Amino acid sequence: MPALQLDNVRKVYRTGDQQVVALNDVSLTVQNDEMMILVGPSGSGKTTLLTVAGALLRPTSGGVRVGGADITDLDDKRLAGFRREEVGFVFQSVNLVPFLTAKENLLVVRQFGGSRIDTQARKRADQLLDELGLGGRGSSLPSQLSGGEKQRVAIGRALMNDPSLVLVDEPTSALDSALGQQVMDLLRREIKGRGVSAIVVTHDDRVLDYGDRTVRIVDGALETGAQ
Amino acid sequence: MSIAMKELIRRPGRFVSVGGALTMLVVLLVVLGGFLDGLELNSTGPYRAHEGRLLVFSDGSELLIQRSKVDAGQAEQLTSSDGVAAVGALNQIESTAGAGQGEIVDIVLFGYDLPTDAIPSPPVDGGVIVDEALADRNDVAVGDTLLIGAESEPVAVAGIVGDLSQGSPTVWLSTQRWREIVQSGNPAALPPEGTDQALVVEPSAGTEISDLAASLGGLDGIAVVTPDEAIKALPVVQQQSSTFEGIIGVTFVVTLLVVALFFTLITLERVHLYAVLKALGARTGNLMAGISAQAVGVSLVALILGLGLSLAFVGLLPADLPVRLVPARLLQTAVGVVMSALLGSLFTLRRVLHVDPAEAIG
Ligand SMILES: Nc1ncnc2c1ncn2[C@@H]1O[C@H](COP(=O)(O)OP(=O)(O)OP(=O)(O)O)[C@@H](O)[C@H]1O
Ligand SMILES: [Mg+2]
Repeated sequence: MPALQLDNVRKVYRTGDQQVVALNDVSLTVQNDEMMILVGPSGSGKTTLLTVAGALLRPTSGGVRVGGADITDLDDKRLAGFRREEVGFVFQSVNLVPFLTAKENLLVVRQFGGSRIDTQARKRADQLLDELGLGGRGSSLPSQLSGGEKQRVAIGRALMNDPSLVLVDEPTSALDSALGQQVMDLLRREIKGRGVSAIVVTHDDRVLDYGDRTVRIVDGALETGAQ
Repeated sequence: MSIAMKELIRRPGRFVSVGGALTMLVVLLVVLGGFLDGLELNSTGPYRAHEGRLLVFSDGSELLIQRSKVDAGQAEQLTSSDGVAAVGALNQIESTAGAGQGEIVDIVLFGYDLPTDAIPSPPVDGGVIVDEALADRNDVAVGDTLLIGAESEPVAVAGIVGDLSQGSPTVWLSTQRWREIVQSGNPAALPPEGTDQALVVEPSAGTEISDLAASLGGLDGIAVVTPDEAIKALPVVQQQSSTFEGIIGVTFVVTLLVVALFFTLITLERVHLYAVLKALGARTGNLMAGISAQAVGVSLVALILGLGLSLAFVGLLPADLPVRLVPARLLQTAVGVVMSALLGSLFTLRRVLHVDPAEAIG
């Protein structure tokens, strides 16, 4: 069963009388354990594709299946639960909670919807921080971390709940090239090591080699042969 | 510990403004409540002195002692009823007392028969019991002589009891001596022989006061009530409590609005954070629980600080101001403040509901 399947997805933004077709009849399958790189010009619909795939936005039409489950018609509450259980986001702007330590930022996802922060969760957070080379920084606040360290904490948070799909928006845009490569290395290792599927959006050509496959999007449509 | 509580503890500076405002409102509520209770206690001493007994007034008197007239026949009926240990007279008149160096103060003069937990039996030699309000303020001691009323009837002070003010200090003596003094100073106010203004019923051992009130309630021409019920019927108490309760109610509404305003503003600042948390799987309910927890947390801190400040403030007030801090009132204030904060925090619901998780990305 594929990790993610988009069937003829359209997403139209309406602002006033204006309409923007951000995704135009997109069909896409991401296999289990596959790391897909998504590239395209600015405004081509990359972020929109991630938000639809990650159940943050409902498509205007078309179907979204994650791990075989159709999420197109779920209500807000179910979608929140679905995001918590199945999806890991790494946002472009990192978005750590500023008054929580690195470790607490990983544990945030365990505070919602009846899950608990137990010894097992703490162990997992410690282990992830270790793997991400942040073993000693668990009690640091985001303001005390470098840009690369923050990116790595965000990756840890995305992996914390053992998602089946990880969505990463421009992980290297704020980093210099050495740090960018290091973060991509880590990301690939973590994702491949866990058998998780991922879509990584990037502008950065040096990142292309890290993926199993590269897909181009232009004006909301995937280039032919992409699927 | 939840994210919200961590924020409260790690970033207390953000909550100083609302915490300070709530602290001031707590002080206001405590002091207002203290005045309400102080004024009520100050005007009801003689009633509270009869705690555990029943008071009897005539029908149509609206439970006001100065309008009431009960006759010997009715007293006799009560005495022979089940569960009644003793029945005594209770009469009062507003008068004056001259103490020591000729200074004259307003008092309420009570004639009575039965001792209570607060007053001993009336002195048989015609002496008086005075309350602390008179003793402390006018330097009256046991053995002094007071000059009562227009005719300056001399009476010896035989004992001093706790503050039983009824607007003015109170002076207590036997029914017989009371009649003599009223007869000489103000004969028109004297109830006819064989009648009294009110009666006091002492229940026999093991009789429930409420049961007795119910069983005596059937007797004709009289109303049998507890001291509390008589207090609630006093016009002065009704006016004070409706005025003060109005102000206190408005203060609770202000508290609610302050909390609502603060958290509505802070929610605007947190739109992005909430979008991120929603993207990570938080539901609106999770976020609302956090906001309410912060509101309750801040209000609890404000309660502690406000209570401390109120105690200090009340301690600085002149002793003759009628402010009393009563535990039941403080508890009511505490519960009211926490509930107002909780309700106020719910005003953010609409905004939190509209936070779009999609705003977190990009
Ligand atoms: N909330 C929105 N409302 C209206 N239009 C939007 C909204 N979000 C995106 N768009 C439009 O949809 C199109 C696709 O936007 P999207 O953010 O997916 O592009 P992108 O490929 O991520 O671009 P970039 O590389 O600059 O991040 C753009 O034309 C954008 O202006
Ligand atoms: Mg984008």
